[in-house]
Amino acid sequence: MTSDAAAAVHPKARVDWGALRRRFLSFLLDWMIWGYIAYGVMYFLNAYWWTVPLERFYTTLTLPSWGWPLAILGTLEMAVWSRNLGRSLGLRAFGYEVWGEDAAPTPGQRVRRALLWHLSVLPLGAGLWSSPERPWHDRLAGTELRLLPSPAPKRRKAFLSQWGIMALLLVVLTIWLGWLIIKIDLGVLIRRGDEGARIWLEMLRPDFRYFVRPDPVFELRNLSFSILDMAVVTLFMALLSTILGATFAFPLSFLGARNVMGFNSIGWLVYFVMRGLFNIFRSIDTMLWAVIFAVWVLWGSPLAGVLALTVHTIAALGKLYSEQVEGIDPGPVEAVAAAGGSRIEVIRYAVIPQVAPSFWAFTLYRWDINVRMSTVIALVGGGGIGDLLFYYKNQGDWPKVGAVVMVIVAIVWAMDYISGRLRERIA
Amino acid sequence: MAEPYLVVEHLTKVYERGQVLALKDVSFTVEKGEFLVVIGLSGSGKSTLLRCINRLVEPTSGRIFIGGVEVTRLSAREMRKMRRKIGMIFQQFNLIKRATVMTNVLTGRLGYNPTWRSVLGLFPHSDRELALRNLERVGLSDKAYVRADELSGGQQQRVGIARALMQEPELLLADEPVSALDPATSHSVMQYLEQMNREDGVTVLASLHFLSLARRYGTRIIALKDGQLVFEGPPEAIDDTKFKEIYGEEAEQVEVR
Repeated sequence: MTSDAAAAVHPKARVDWGALRRRFLSFLLDWMIWGYIAYGVMYFLNAYWWTVPLERFYTTLTLPSWGWPLAILGTLEMAVWSRNLGRSLGLRAFGYEVWGEDAAPTPGQRVRRALLWHLSVLPLGAGLWSSPERPWHDRLAGTELRLLPSPAPKRRKAFLSQWGIMALLLVVLTIWLGWLIIKIDLGVLIRRGDEGARIWLEMLRPDFRYFVRPDPVFELRNLSFSILDMAVVTLFMALLSTILGATFAFPLSFLGARNVMGFNSIGWLVYFVMRGLFNIFRSIDTMLWAVIFAVWVLWGSPLAGVLALTVHTIAALGKLYSEQVEGIDPGPVEAVAAAGGSRIEVIRYAVIPQVAPSFWAFTLYRWDINVRMSTVIALVGGGGIGDLLFYYKNQGDWPKVGAVVMVIVAIVWAMDYISGRLRERIA
Repeated sequence: MAEPYLVVEHLTKVYERGQVLALKDVSFTVEKGEFLVVIGLSGSGKSTLLRCINRLVEPTSGRIFIGGVEVTRLSAREMRKMRRKIGMIFQQFNLIKRATVMTNVLTGRLGYNPTWRSVLGLFPHSDRELALRNLERVGLSDKAYVRADELSGGQQQRVGIARALMQEPELLLADEPVSALDPATSHSVMQYLEQMNREDGVTVLASLHFLSLARRYGTRIIALKDGQLVFEGPPEAIDDTKFKEIYGEEAEQVEVR
């Protein structure tokens, strides 16, 4: 279109909130990284060398009272200096680069900028408000924070390639710290090897006596389960939740697509509500939904599992579908609208044909997930074949566990195969 | 003389987001049966102008009349009805690529049929016959049940023309209809437009890149530069000075034969 018919209508007059936000987030990222590094350092000190002589310093997150201001200010300083002496991860992540007068800044400028930063930003960001693009410290140091892509100035090498050092440090730190926090001990796999061998061996002579016939141990619970019964239940849990989920997600996804909803205020509202709901419902995991529905409906009933899977499927597919709808070529939409098509006709003739293949692909992908989830959702009361699995496990009846696991593997494998074949047909 | 068929008065379009002024106070009129060509550089506002006329793009200010009706005041529902009479073809053809040519052509009838029928894909028999006739007219009757993305660029644009013909339009908006095509195909597509203009009496507004095409097919030319109308007159009136005014000092005339 004609966006390059450049002719500014209003000169920029207001505070550029976007630029301010970017700068802030970029700084915050650096600050957080240094905070994380400082945390790691404290942890190592404590673990290996010198225990802070304070009784309350016993959990992983507690610092002595004097430690907090020290950590906050110390990491703040580290962030400031790392941003100025080199190109920190925070700058890089947001595409920023510190420039001098059309060249890389001199070391003097870098130091001046870091020092002036304190005068400019610490008094409630006074130096930022007037012009976030070029705050006081930049003007006084003769520098500028530029957004890439712009032709990069000739860069000094050596230690000034800050971000690389920071990134490497973060990875090493995370592995080391994680090792300590999780208390990783691979030797235990060997030391307790006989336990492992026992379970594996028992499971490998599976007990299929109750494959078709209900297992009498459930008579106490007044239930009649065979492995086959539960396999069928599980299969239908996965099928039903996928079909129901896709059926609801399909129409809802159009409400969650920017380009379909139009750009008026009602459109915005519906879009935000829809996307918000998708995101909230999606971020509650299927397992958590199962906990809720198991209490609500009945512990161990397949209905609870189906409801949980369906709700999560609607939210997950709804989001994926709407993103696809937003990614379509707007050309056919224009063409159908230009011919006098209504909004529904636009969706039917210009949108759906474009998104259909990816909708199918996502639905199959979700179908795979639902098959897997339905086999274990019983752990939190969702019903299905997992019910047998966890019951036998608690009994320590490993041959029966082995039989159930084999049936689960067979179900998952068979369904994977089917969805794989369907996927080939679509592609 | 009667009121001109299309009247554009003080049309201005500002794109909110980039605060870009795409059209500045553009006014002109078009008589019924004219073949008006809009020329100008990329980004001069040609596409925006055409899209303002059928309100695919909402004008910021100004008025547009088609056949005495002020389209800029119509409600969304009335506008949809009005659009039935305004065919449009596009630079990138804008076909539904995964659908058959037949389906694509039939979408030209959407404005005439009730929504519930179109959603179910139920087009009246008469529409299907009309579609076959229009495909025959653009020389594609053997391609009716081929997927649109299997056709060449020129063939796709002819499907676009057949789709516009389905609307039985009074006015045809052609947004750079041949920019994506090679010169030989360009002429064949332009000749279909000329035929619509001469034989069916359809008023045509076409934006074109090449002045040579504009001279050959236009009965009148208007030129846009940075969103402003800088020329209006017969094709012969564009001499070298005018040309440089519209396209800038550096521009050279390129012939498309």
